[in-house]
Amino acid sequence: MSSTVIPSGELGQQAEESNYLNVKHTIASWLLTGDHKRIALLYLVSTSFFFFLGSIAAGLIRYELTSPAGVVLESETYNKVFSSHGILMVFTFLVVAIPAIFGNFLVPLMIGARDLAFPRLNLASWYMYMTGGTLILAGMIFGGVDTGWTFYTPYSSMYSNGQVTMVIIGIFIAGFSTITTGINFVVTIHKMRAPGMTWFRLPLFIWAMYATSLMMILATPVVAITLLLVVYERTFKLPVFSPELGGDPVLFQHLFWFYSHPAVYIMILPAFAIVSELIANFSRKRIFGYHFVAFSSLAIAGLGFLVWGHHMFVSSQSMYESIVFSLISYLVAVPSAIKIFNWMATMYKGNIRLQSPMIYAIAFLMIFTVGGLTGLFLGAAGTDIHLTATYFVVAHFHYVMVGGTMLAFLGGLHYWWPKITGRMFSDGIAKVNAVIVFVGFNLTFFPQFIVGWLGMPRRYHYYYFAPEFQAYHIMSTLGATVLGLGFILPAFYLTMSLFTGPKAGPNPWGAHGLEWETSSPPPTSNFTETPIVMDEVYDFDPVSDHAKDLKDIEERNRRRSEEGYCGSEDDN
Amino acid sequence: MSAITNTSDHGHDSALHHQFEDIGQQNDSYIVGMWVFLSTEVMFFGALFFIYTLYRWNYQLDFYIAHEHLDVKLGAINTSVLLFSSFTMVMAVQSAQLKRRLHVIGYLLTTIVCACTFLVIKYFEYSSKIADHLYPGAGFATDAHAAFGAHAFEAGKLAVNMNHAQLFYALYFGMTGLHAVHIIAGILVILALIRLWVIRAKSVTLDYIPTEMVGLYWHFVDLVWIFLFPLFYLMPKPH
Amino acid sequence: MASQTSHSHEHHIVPTSTYLLTLILLVLLMLATVWAASFNLPAIGPFSGTVVNQMVALIIATAKALLVIMVFMGVRWSSTLAKLWVASGFVTLILLFGILGDYTTRHYEHQHGWEARPDGSLPRSTPDEEVVPPINANDLNVKIRQ
Repeated sequence: MSSTVIPSGELGQQAEESNYLNVKHTIASWLLTGDHKRIALLYLVSTSFFFFLGSIAAGLIRYELTSPAGVVLESETYNKVFSSHGILMVFTFLVVAIPAIFGNFLVPLMIGARDLAFPRLNLASWYMYMTGGTLILAGMIFGGVDTGWTFYTPYSSMYSNGQVTMVIIGIFIAGFSTITTGINFVVTIHKMRAPGMTWFRLPLFIWAMYATSLMMILATPVVAITLLLVVYERTFKLPVFSPELGGDPVLFQHLFWFYSHPAVYIMILPAFAIVSELIANFSRKRIFGYHFVAFSSLAIAGLGFLVWGHHMFVSSQSMYESIVFSLISYLVAVPSAIKIFNWMATMYKGNIRLQSPMIYAIAFLMIFTVGGLTGLFLGAAGTDIHLTATYFVVAHFHYVMVGGTMLAFLGGLHYWWPKITGRMFSDGIAKVNAVIVFVGFNLTFFPQFIVGWLGMPRRYHYYYFAPEFQAYHIMSTLGATVLGLGFILPAFYLTMSLFTGPKAGPNPWGAHGLEWETSSPPPTSNFTETPIVMDEVYDFDPVSDHAKDLKDIEERNRRRSEEGYCGSEDDN
Repeated sequence: MSAITNTSDHGHDSALHHQFEDIGQQNDSYIVGMWVFLSTEVMFFGALFFIYTLYRWNYQLDFYIAHEHLDVKLGAINTSVLLFSSFTMVMAVQSAQLKRRLHVIGYLLTTIVCACTFLVIKYFEYSSKIADHLYPGAGFATDAHAAFGAHAFEAGKLAVNMNHAQLFYALYFGMTGLHAVHIIAGILVILALIRLWVIRAKSVTLDYIPTEMVGLYWHFVDLVWIFLFPLFYLMPKPH
Repeated sequence: MASQTSHSHEHHIVPTSTYLLTLILLVLLMLATVWAASFNLPAIGPFSGTVVNQMVALIIATAKALLVIMVFMGVRWSSTLAKLWVASGFVTLILLFGILGDYTTRHYEHQHGWEARPDGSLPRSTPDEEVVPPINANDLNVKIRQ
């Protein structure tokens, strides 16, 4: 192949100037791109849009609940609003967001590949996602669904009058987008690693993405076929899940949760992926117990397939089964705790840099721990009978999904923003925002634990039977307002950074990893030369770190004295 | 192999995509990708097989009586047709390995003929069910005697619950229907493959892997039918 | 990238005779399963005759499936990675069949009064004259506290 060798100097120069963002400017070059980085950006824009819509629904729910008698929504409208919130957040944001945005962007970069294995499939998955999302939205506009995101039969299949069919078909198509993303990741991670990138040199992000893909590939088809059967039954009035005609509605719950419990881990494992990177890079230490953290991801993926029954303690599931599921559910605590303890052990005596992504990571640790521990209340078959379908459950899964996935998402967005856009944002305001999110989040959801324990049922739009709950609900609504602010602010200051932010350089955080060895933003082919991996993962050198710190401080002092600069907001 | 990127024009080797280093890596990726996809298909059909198992177990006699309307002979012929099409498919792959272009096209066309035969037989089976109002939905037969004749009675008593019979036919049409959709998709994919072979597209002629991938899909369709046949057509009488 | 390039794709050209033999075996097995289904097989041990019949049918189907997977799909000659992914789908399917554990450990109760009527209408619109048998507390798996 010597005939195709281009002098490396010339190529390097070319790559300096052209990156994946400015290589072409036409709309077609974005909509027909095969570049994983551009597809990641398409996903970033589209998932943010769906997240925004889901948040509006959440706002309506919180506003409605400020009064014991309800404020604005009719019963049926309320049902449609909370269903929209659940469906949009779960199927078009949480399941998709981190894998499709950060996974897409980072998997090839982290393993030293030029692209994912199947770029066209990757683009097709975005189109499937958009088709699915559009159908879901159309269903919500033309009548809505009032079944909740779980579509329990026979209500969804026999009685509900909304646009259940359209929304389910939307979810079905979006599900295939998830599957194709998973296939792409698995093949890429197996087959496209750079020379020297052995399995145990992979960043933990990749391990967690692999575990996520595993569940996407093996669990999603089950819910796809189950929801398709609901449509089949709904269209032809069939007996598949309807007790009137000999079907079994509990079978639907079994099949639904056989997917949806792994789906919960599809949502949280990518968050673990990001947090592992953040903790290691901002503590300047190799992750404590790398192998344990890596295999705990796979263990969570495996156990995820064995615990679906803990969502069904109050269905007519056999009690023997409930006991078994309860016990297996406790086992999930083991790999989760391995991760939490190893992260903390990594931070211990680390050279911690409290920059904004790290603050999100620490907030994640605190909130996820609360979310995980309250999961034990619900995993125990006994207490679950008391807590089923109360706000305790709502608070629990928001602690895991919002406090876990959403915080990790924001942390990852801040961490890789300079890599994605080539611009630095103002770290000061990002830190303030992290605190706003943390406070707003806890103010929103902690009162829900209490009010749920006291007996407030979920999915009710009034509580005149217990007006004493109002204080908790108002606290929660106030918190939601603060939290909303915390989600809107990044949109502004990150967008601002595109125009006013200083150029980031290849490695603004001094982080370790292949993605930081290429320019920011990376060239279309990611690396000017195929990297050869010689060093171990998270191989920080404390001595040179210290020397670099000293040099940075010197440099900064010099710059300040030259420019007469005395601001403190921007000093990272 | 030079380590320089931007070498998407690999000269002699236009079947190689830019993200791969060499053709071996690309082929491995394609085969693994195909198998990962097939494992989702296994779960997709698997959930249906599970539902079938559960209801068959609960309503043994109803399902047995309902299945009496199916024609074992047609089912067996269809099974043979699909098995034979799998054989022609595998021969097409072998010819692709040996780079015998006309053989590949011939075997692929035979496969399509088999697939169409399967669908035609399926059409006759479906129409005989529909003629007897055994299609799931509001129009499902209510008179067990008219639908199943003497089979519907056990020791002079009506032995079949028509709701459960409808459940059987819902699953029958659902599962064989989904299988037929896969057959139709397979026909389209094979047609596209034939077109590529006819125009001597380098993406298929240089290496047998694309043909092999279509083959894997086709064998999977065959695999599903291998289980559908005994489960739906060869039901033992509860005894 | 190149490190992952094991040349496992080297051409394993399987002779036509192998494929032909497989096809013949498959057709024979198909005939065997049709033939076996024409008998009511006797009970063996704890399994009733129905179960034995069904087990024979499924064992033959599994044998056919293995032939197709191993020979036609070429898994016998594939890389370990491909073999792992072949297995993964079926292993997860076994987990899915674990749902049966629920149905074997509970009584699948039939509730009176919820069947669809012969005209296909659903009991939601139960006319008043229809008599719904009263539920007998002894039929339910609960103790009523006095």
